[in-house]
Amino acid sequence: MAVRESARRRQAGWWPFILPAFALVAAFFAAPFVLNLRFAFTDWSGYSDIIAFNGLENFRSLIEQDILWQAVKVTLLYAVSAMLVQNVFSLSMALVLQRSTRINGFFRSFFFLPVLIAPVAAGYIWSAILAPAGPLNKAIALVVPGFDYAWLGHGHSALASLAFVDAWKWSGLITLVYIAGLNNIPESLTEAAMIDGANAWQRFWRVRFRLLAPAFTFTVVVTMLGAINAFDLVAATTRGGPGTSTTVLNIAMFNQYGSGFFGTASSLSLVVTVLVVVLGLPLIAYLRRREIEA
Amino acid sequence: MRAKVRWREAVRVAVLSVISLVWVVLPVWLLLVNSAKPLEEASLLELGFPKEWALWDNYSYVIHDGHYLRALGNSLMVVVPTLAVIIVLGAMAAWAYARSRSMTAKVAYNITVLSIVLPAAVLPTIYELQTLGIDGTRFGYFLVMAGTRMGSVVFLATGFIKSVPRDLEDSASIDGAGRMQIFIRIIFPLAVPVLLVGSVILIISTWNEFFFAGFLLQGSDRATLPLALYQFASASADQSVLRWNLIFAHVVLTSIPLVLVYLVVQRRVVPGLSSGAIKG
Repeated sequence: MAVRESARRRQAGWWPFILPAFALVAAFFAAPFVLNLRFAFTDWSGYSDIIAFNGLENFRSLIEQDILWQAVKVTLLYAVSAMLVQNVFSLSMALVLQRSTRINGFFRSFFFLPVLIAPVAAGYIWSAILAPAGPLNKAIALVVPGFDYAWLGHGHSALASLAFVDAWKWSGLITLVYIAGLNNIPESLTEAAMIDGANAWQRFWRVRFRLLAPAFTFTVVVTMLGAINAFDLVAATTRGGPGTSTTVLNIAMFNQYGSGFFGTASSLSLVVTVLVVVLGLPLIAYLRRREIEA
Repeated sequence: MRAKVRWREAVRVAVLSVISLVWVVLPVWLLLVNSAKPLEEASLLELGFPKEWALWDNYSYVIHDGHYLRALGNSLMVVVPTLAVIIVLGAMAAWAYARSRSMTAKVAYNITVLSIVLPAAVLPTIYELQTLGIDGTRFGYFLVMAGTRMGSVVFLATGFIKSVPRDLEDSASIDGAGRMQIFIRIIFPLAVPVLLVGSVILIISTWNEFFFAGFLLQGSDRATLPLALYQFASASADQSVLRWNLIFAHVVLTSIPLVLVYLVVQRRVVPGLSSGAIKG
């Protein structure tokens, strides 16, 4: 009896430690998150003080205006491209910089610099680099005279360029995650494969790449989900244009908000949440399974 | 054999140098050198040295007319309290989550961890802050930062504390130390390395935060640095020629505080992040 009593008191004693932090999370993450499930189905706007439930009306109107599916398509295209560029570059860099030597430490710190730059700031730097008169075209013009392509002025190249800039901004960090993953692989395994006559290419694909699964799970999911939430970079560069070719969901949401349609804005942010859940969870489950098989 | 290894290493370093030249040096150089040119020369976006220097003019314009110092102050006013609150409260909660077996605590922990992955909903946040009467303020923005960024630090610290044996705490408890004392004397100091890694992630993400800032901070006099940069550049977008020299000067000034902090703590950051803050 006395033991149970003291055990209960011990459990109860944790609440002063949990409550302050959890109150903040509950009030400013969980509550808005739950409220959004409701606001997405209301006619909340800047033009009326009354907020009324209106069922699927917001979604119907977003579909009718060609906003919803276009934004979903752009967001997914952007997320997949950003994820691919980022992981290919970061994994290559990690393989080159894996050993913890002095010179590698220097390069790692160096490639980390873009991580520190605000996405908005990165947007301005790259708007300049990619401008028709910018340094990229000047370099290409050395080979192709008169080259002055507006990278951010055409739909497809704008989206691809933004995915590249996103990768530029984050690769320094993702490289470090891959390095940590590579260093968790016991060297005895690659050595054994070497003794068995596997060449460098086989040693990478058959041994290290498979054992890299935990780091791989983490980076693929993180880069993909991060890109689904994209906003800053687009706002600083194309603002969704040309046309709607780079209007990712959050930009579409911002546009609705700017026009005073808070209900449809909430609907669009609910779509972002749904995409994160739908893509994030199976991606984690799938990559986890690969981890176990490996 | 050894000559071959050394030759390969030389090639590797050469290739890395070329990549870092294109990837980091050239963008940064473009930024720095054009921030020192007068308007017309900068609009050519060339990499050469300024023919005419306007360094002082550009930077003093950004500091005075771009209200740089005010934005810097706003950023500090949000980031410093966010960091302090998350590190202290987050470490306390992490210890409790690591040791408590209560189901309610588990639920609270899971909600906290979910907040790392799930996107925060900005419109209901505005609604909530309006209801509380603190919409548009730096205080409201700080609360939202603290609530939405708590997750990663709690997650990192809980994982770490779980891996620490309870013996120390138990013997301190037998010696009559209270929970708060044990936290201050034992747990917090033990968790400092992992909290440092958490702080780095936190500082980078809150200092550069733009999405919530744009929605939650009203008026340019409350803008944090990234928001002030955006407002400054957008104002310049109305002109016939983009004021690249001034935008670049603003980008440089906006990035400098974080780069300076990084240069100081860099020896700890990069090894810390690459040696296992993340384990699947």
